[in-house]
Amino acid sequence: MFQLLHRWIWQDPGRCARKLFTFAETEADGGRDLVRAAESTQDPLLRRLFTVHAVEESRHAELFRNRGLALLRGLRDRSTTTLQLNWMSPGERGLDDLRVHAESDASLLAFLHLSEKTAAGHFATYVEALADDPSTSSVFKEVLKDETFHMNYTLAQLTRVEPKRHGLFLWKARASRLWKAYLRLMSAIAGVMGTVILTLQYFILLPPFAFLAKRAARREPPGWIAVSQEKTRSLKSQY
Amino acid sequence: MKILGISAHYHDAAAALIVDGLPVAAVQEERLSRRKNDAAFPMNAIEWCLEKGGLEPEQLDAVVFYERPMLKFDRILTCALRAFPHSWRSFPHAMKNTLAEKLWVRGIISSQLGVSRQKILFTEHHRSHAAASFLTAPVREAAILTADGVGEWASLTVGRGTRGPDGTAINLLREIRFPHSLGMLYSTFTAYLGFPVNEGEYKVMGLASYGRPTFADAVRKLVPRTQDGAFRLDLDYFDFHTTAKRSFSKKFVDIFGPPRDPFDPIDLETPDGRRFADCAASVQLVLEDILVDAARSLQRETGLTDLCLGGGVALNGVANHRLLQESGFERIFVPPAPGDAGCALGAALYADRIHFGNPDRDFPDHPFWGPAVEEGALAKLAREDRLPAQGFDDPELIERVALDLAVGRIVGWMDGALELGPRALGHRSILAAPHSAEMRDRLNRDIKHREEFRPFAPVVPIEDAERYFELPPGGKRLARFMSGVFPVRPEWRERLAAITHVDGTARVQTVDAGMAPRLYALLKAYGRVSGIPILLNTSFNLAGEPIVNRCVEGYLTFRRSGIDVLVAGQTRVTKRGMEIAA
Repeated sequence: MFQLLHRWIWQDPGRCARKLFTFAETEADGGRDLVRAAESTQDPLLRRLFTVHAVEESRHAELFRNRGLALLRGLRDRSTTTLQLNWMSPGERGLDDLRVHAESDASLLAFLHLSEKTAAGHFATYVEALADDPSTSSVFKEVLKDETFHMNYTLAQLTRVEPKRHGLFLWKARASRLWKAYLRLMSAIAGVMGTVILTLQYFILLPPFAFLAKRAARREPPGWIAVSQEKTRSLKSQY
Repeated sequence: MKILGISAHYHDAAAALIVDGLPVAAVQEERLSRRKNDAAFPMNAIEWCLEKGGLEPEQLDAVVFYERPMLKFDRILTCALRAFPHSWRSFPHAMKNTLAEKLWVRGIISSQLGVSRQKILFTEHHRSHAAASFLTAPVREAAILTADGVGEWASLTVGRGTRGPDGTAINLLREIRFPHSLGMLYSTFTAYLGFPVNEGEYKVMGLASYGRPTFADAVRKLVPRTQDGAFRLDLDYFDFHTTAKRSFSKKFVDIFGPPRDPFDPIDLETPDGRRFADCAASVQLVLEDILVDAARSLQRETGLTDLCLGGGVALNGVANHRLLQESGFERIFVPPAPGDAGCALGAALYADRIHFGNPDRDFPDHPFWGPAVEEGALAKLAREDRLPAQGFDDPELIERVALDLAVGRIVGWMDGALELGPRALGHRSILAAPHSAEMRDRLNRDIKHREEFRPFAPVVPIEDAERYFELPPGGKRLARFMSGVFPVRPEWRERLAAITHVDGTARVQTVDAGMAPRLYALLKAYGRVSGIPILLNTSFNLAGEPIVNRCVEGYLTFRRSGIDVLVAGQTRVTKRGMEIAA
């Protein structure tokens, strides 16, 4: 069932191209997060590994971007597909807005491990869903190979850095991801509620003020307006 | 007095500390948070400034925010009302955005820093720009012109400033108000051409050189002039005042054609690519014409010979060159950070000189107010990775780096304190030989990963500049912080191919020994080796990242890119397999 759904999502070249561009941006952002992680750590081996990881994320971004461009070039009408369904077929989530500088090496590694594992799962699905598009599928295969390495090295390093408590860090990271997902969902709901309330206010409360504002705007002369020296008096005022 | 200036919440958040009228520290938040164009409340920058000044927040006499949040809210709300009912989509977004954080600046500063609310002051956005430009320039009296997208209401102001033993004054005479804005006009074309607004404007300027202003009359229709010599935007062609999603309207597209897909590279060989270049050339020409007219009438009105330029529009080096040539002003001063980051410094200076009436002090004429290179840090990092690293005395180091550059190596150069502002002016730079187009292509391909139509800038000792570049009177000053674009002398263009733009110009930086002594010495040493004391100077960062600050950031940039040699302070590091001595 899921496979069919993914096949449907990826079969439209326009949507596929846009999704690849989005993935490219996420990979590039993830690469920058990893650079920050490399800058923060005091562990030389981790610094090297994070740097290699960052370079690979940048390469993935380029792979996705190039494939997206190739698909886009083949399209006659580029404006038809806007629905990307990213929530249904997500890419890599990177460090999930983690404050890289504030985290310990162990918690970063745990977070990265889970993130890479999830992304690898998604990409494996897309490889199968894109069986009819070998060029795009091969991009995912290549990225998947790296993701598997990333998944493994982060776990190995976590075990090295925290030999006794690496399991605890993984559980903490899982809980943190869950909590962030909950916060994202709640923020989205709050955002929708806020938008509805503000839109209602806009149409119910604002019309008379809008009328006055428009009338005042019509009276405003175009061009230069002399600066009143009065309002420069106090820096205490926010107005 | 100890005064902290802050800019935040739009783009380019920054903090600046002045003590007894002189700057102690100033840095953009992005350089510390490592998020490009970080607009968040600049807590890292504030903490660093206070640490540099050896101060606790409670020791501050004042904290000055660079604009008036309530006045800005007044503009946002009024514009939403004026655009009713077309603003229904943008209204909730604008309200959530403003009411969530941006309106409560006094509370945020007070709670984050623990300072009394009475100590928190607010300048107007364009007064901050004006102060950042005028109070940092080595002049006693000057005309002032500031232009950007928008502050609270003003988008362009003109005025005059005086300073001296009798006190300091900045009198803004008149302004043009939002939505009529040169910055918004340029940003609309930036968006139309598929570049990110507030950071892609450079690209429009670079692209303009490839086009012809065939759409200039069409652009003029968008910006009709008013009877008093100002301008207004014909809002039928714009959407930025009604929605946050799109800044140009259908009518705009009817004139200029379909917008560029941001993901599609610009191919100047195609009709679409040429159309985009022509659009860029057209808006550039119209922007220049309007600025020149405004400056010319200001010069006639004030009778002054010096002009201080501020606001994001002052980053347009091509326009600055025309202003210098055609406005009637003999000298033009553009600070190293004319955009919002510089407003942190401007707001603090405005409060010090004008609100508190403290005596005028001459401002040190350089942009280096950020964190300094940590000696020994690079050597430690290189040792950990078993890379060849050597420490040298200055003269030997300079000679070696000059040889590196002469044999075609690309050098990452970290020296002293970080620059304030968007340009690398010799303390966090990538340097290279400026002679061949291959070097330009290599930098674009292996390091900067950017569009090939964007030019690289040269840096030259001030006394040698006129030999290679056609600098009008006042040009050397404008080039001090890389604020002007000037023609490369035709006889040198072939030998300066990496820094000569398609139209034969370059965004020159002139350096004297007082401002950046080590870079100056390097240029001289390179001149002795190659015969031409000019280097290609581009900012030390990779695409999408802020300019490096600490050694570790420079080092990791060096490791991830095609930079061959890294120098930080007295240490020189090369990649494995490369001989240490050139």
